[in-house]
Amino acid sequence: MEKNVNAILPGLCARVVVEVGDNVTKGQEIAVINCMKTEYSVASEYNGVVKEVLSKEWDELQVGDPMVVLEVEG
Amino acid sequence: MINRLLIANRGEIVARIIRTCKELGVDTVAVYSEADKHAPYLDQADDAVLIGPANPMQSYLNIETLIQTAQRTGADAVHPGYGFLSERGAFAEAVEQAGLIWVGPSAKVLKAISSKCYCRHIAAGVQVPVIPGTLDPVSDGETVAEYGHEQGWPIFLKLDKGGGGKGIEIINNESEAAEVLQRASRIGQMAFGSGDCYIEQVVHHPRHIEVQFLADKHGNCVCLGERECSVQRRHQKIIEEAPSVVVTDEDRKRLFDRARSIVLKIGYEGAGTIENLRSIDGNYYFMEINARLQVEHPVTEYLTGVDIVKWQLLIASGEEINFSQADVKMNGHAIEARVYAEDPETFVPSPGTITSLSLPETDSQLRIDHALKENGSVPPFYDPLLAKVIAWGTERSEATNRLIEALADFQIEGIKTTIPVNLAILKRPEFLAGNIDTGFIDNILRNT
Repeated sequence: MEKNVNAILPGLCARVVVEVGDNVTKGQEIAVINCMKTEYSVASEYNGVVKEVLSKEWDELQVGDPMVVLEVEG
Repeated sequence: MINRLLIANRGEIVARIIRTCKELGVDTVAVYSEADKHAPYLDQADDAVLIGPANPMQSYLNIETLIQTAQRTGADAVHPGYGFLSERGAFAEAVEQAGLIWVGPSAKVLKAISSKCYCRHIAAGVQVPVIPGTLDPVSDGETVAEYGHEQGWPIFLKLDKGGGGKGIEIINNESEAAEVLQRASRIGQMAFGSGDCYIEQVVHHPRHIEVQFLADKHGNCVCLGERECSVQRRHQKIIEEAPSVVVTDEDRKRLFDRARSIVLKIGYEGAGTIENLRSIDGNYYFMEINARLQVEHPVTEYLTGVDIVKWQLLIASGEEINFSQADVKMNGHAIEARVYAEDPETFVPSPGTITSLSLPETDSQLRIDHALKENGSVPPFYDPLLAKVIAWGTERSEATNRLIEALADFQIEGIKTTIPVNLAILKRPEFLAGNIDTGFIDNILRNT
């Protein structure tokens, strides 16, 4: 099933560090958010495969905005 | 004289610049992004223009849009404030090429001094001690390893074009040298367009002492005293004061002479700051030049009575500084606390909406520079600086107490602020004794 990796802080997307098709593990860095000029890492809460990347550099983000869609087992 | 000034910035500094413009009879054009459309200073400017979305690349950092806006609104000058494009040679150049007055040192000077190695060469060339290290960038890990081997570890690796506390890496031993150099170069290439790095030796327990100067187009350079900014966190200043408790009259005279020789050698015009480190044994080393109006400039304005923004505008208009070094009198003591929108315990940013705001009353001994209002928003896209609270007193303890009272009266709800951190620092016995260095905050945090 699909699970989203969401923005944990508001701000700007600094970068997404995974690509479609990548295998990711729980705790792995998926993206980086620039909130008030400080960078924060967004980690995956699941093991899975990157299905879709929704955010790109400089996108404005609110808390909870989906940044990456994962296909996870279960 | 400048008639109409476009202010290419946001936040409290826009309100600050507008205040002086009103006194001088200069019209102002404020610019704003979608995220700042309700900023209180927009009503104070003679004109306010939406320049783009929240993303600063498309608004406050967009040179083309800013130049077009200046031309369209009939501005004849541009003030860049601090941060954003304030020290960007390419912006100064675009302003100059559009036939507008740039409030700051020329594009040529800005481009040259963006290289820290250039500045180190200039300083060394006029016999000003620089922080020991290399004057030129290092080419490979082997050279770095050799240097550390000879001079002792750890050493700092700094980006030639770095800034804002970014691009400083510590190397603890030979085995890290190549890897850290490679990483720093990569970061520099991405963030500043240059991967060049040079070496600086570690100065233990340093104090940050900077000299504010004004230099005009007629060869005059006057220093407006020093500021001590040793209370920092992650290279971000938190408390600034003047005078410094450790700077003697003799030190001050020497620091002024050094600043003047560097400034005149470079051909710098405008207001600026020479940053120095003071070692625990009382030696001062040139660190870098800040080619802009600094956040902490109000401290100096309180101490000297000189309006630095006014002199920026006069100098940019070609006027000559009409007072001498002997005329600069430093009266009493001033301290500034920076209030940031951050959780006071974790320092995680705290953007949001201000639900309630009540500020202490200001007077001739208390100044608050801010762009806050009730129901106003603090966007997550920009610097977390919310306000600067500056207190003056006939002596340091009086200024400190006034600042403590003001911060205790500073009521703001809806977002978290670092006011509790400011208060904790100002009440520490070490601070009251003037016993501070740049590691002060980390020491407090470790011990509480």
